[in-house]
Amino acid sequence: MHRVTHPDEIRIPRFDAYERVMHWMSALSFGYATLTGLAIWSPKLYWMAAVLGGGFHIRGTHPWSGIVFAVMIGVMFRRWAAGMKLDADDRVWLTRLHKYATHDHGALPPSGRFNAGQKMLFWSQVATTVLLFATGVVLWFPESMPRALRLASIALHPLAAIGSISSILVHIYMGTAAVPQSMRAMLRGYVVPEWARFHHPKWYKAWRASTAQKGPV
Amino acid sequence: MIVAKLIDTTLCIGCKACEVACQEWNDQEYTLGTFGGTYQTMPDLEHNFWNLIKFNEMERDGGTSWLMSKYQCMHCADAGCLAACPAPGAIVARANGTIDFVHENCIGCGYCITGCPFDVPRLSPASKKVYKCSLCSDRTAVGLEPACIKTCPTNCLTFGARDELVRIAEARSEELKADGFADAGVYNPQGVGGTNVLYVLKHASEPEAYGLPKDPQIPWTVSLWKGPMKWLGTLAFWGTILGAFFHFVIYGPQDPAKHGHPEKEDAPSDPS
Repeated sequence: MHRVTHPDEIRIPRFDAYERVMHWMSALSFGYATLTGLAIWSPKLYWMAAVLGGGFHIRGTHPWSGIVFAVMIGVMFRRWAAGMKLDADDRVWLTRLHKYATHDHGALPPSGRFNAGQKMLFWSQVATTVLLFATGVVLWFPESMPRALRLASIALHPLAAIGSISSILVHIYMGTAAVPQSMRAMLRGYVVPEWARFHHPKWYKAWRASTAQKGPV
Repeated sequence: MIVAKLIDTTLCIGCKACEVACQEWNDQEYTLGTFGGTYQTMPDLEHNFWNLIKFNEMERDGGTSWLMSKYQCMHCADAGCLAACPAPGAIVARANGTIDFVHENCIGCGYCITGCPFDVPRLSPASKKVYKCSLCSDRTAVGLEPACIKTCPTNCLTFGARDELVRIAEARSEELKADGFADAGVYNPQGVGGTNVLYVLKHASEPEAYGLPKDPQIPWTVSLWKGPMKWLGTLAFWGTILGAFFHFVIYGPQDPAKHGHPEKEDAPSDPS
């Protein structure tokens, strides 16, 4: 008997276990650093300090969660940086961001494994993480750092955090409600052909070409 | 009533009795100082040493002038430590003008160290909390004067109502001017709204010679962080959350079936 495979039963591997773990390690450490950081940032949010073990406790743990996050961003950089360079299509894509936001996908140049928006998120996270790490180390050891650096860091650390948290809020929206099935890609590691063809046509084509070479699955 | 300390540096003989009284009353372990070739007890303030007489030497008119100054918390009207502190209730401005650290609320972040324009608060390596002169708030609360004032043998130190002490300080600097010290004056820096520790200085135009900053201010980056940046963050976070929510309400999720195919190519064939 010949069984016909429905296209949605085909699984295209999108993120391997290494990428999924590095992503969720970043996400969890970022989440913890964000909650503890916001508690220290504003007296109105200081109640979160009590929820998380008290102000004295989170002052001790916040820098460590930042270290974990920075290390994970480093791991992510090693894995993804080469593939995050903007190509010609990406540059056009960015000028048509409004088309993307209004679901006018026909007006967009095709994306590769990551679209230009994802690439911009990657680079903005790299930039803010470098800034957060540098200023965070300064704020961690107030008695052994020059005062001028501490004064700069008191303003730059939260400024970088505002940029970082805002872009991650967009990332969470994109990964949950806005683009169905993307959460499964990051949790379970695969997508279906229809999803890949619609969101990442060039990446999908490359997968097709590689499976055609390998022959039938 | 705002209370204050007046330090008439012209009457200080450098006996350091106030240092001992401070250590005794606050029950601080004496830490052996580093010998730096001066009469100064310690090179700097410590988490368990809140009151240091600085022995400043100044070359003037072919001679050496020995300027003593009492280095301690200035109890600013606009306190930089309080402005920078992120832990509610850890630093309090009491009704009498005392800036007091409440250690059970201190989280040990050290922002007060950065916010203080006089470089006074010190972090304890043991408790990981920050300490400084409390203006003996446990004494003033029951009507006693601070320990340093109580012990001063020359009346260089006076404690009392701030307004009255300002008058006394100004009268004293007029007296010094009349005695030939034309540069005499009161140190009561307005950049921090005035301080509740006032000095009479012989060389008032050069407070740096006494180890006092010329124009102390709450650092602008601290004001930026506590002011406009709160608004920026609130705007950015709520803007993003509401923007995402209403984007979903208006446009809904991206749907390959509805929103067209960027590359209308062959559907995936059955590979089996």
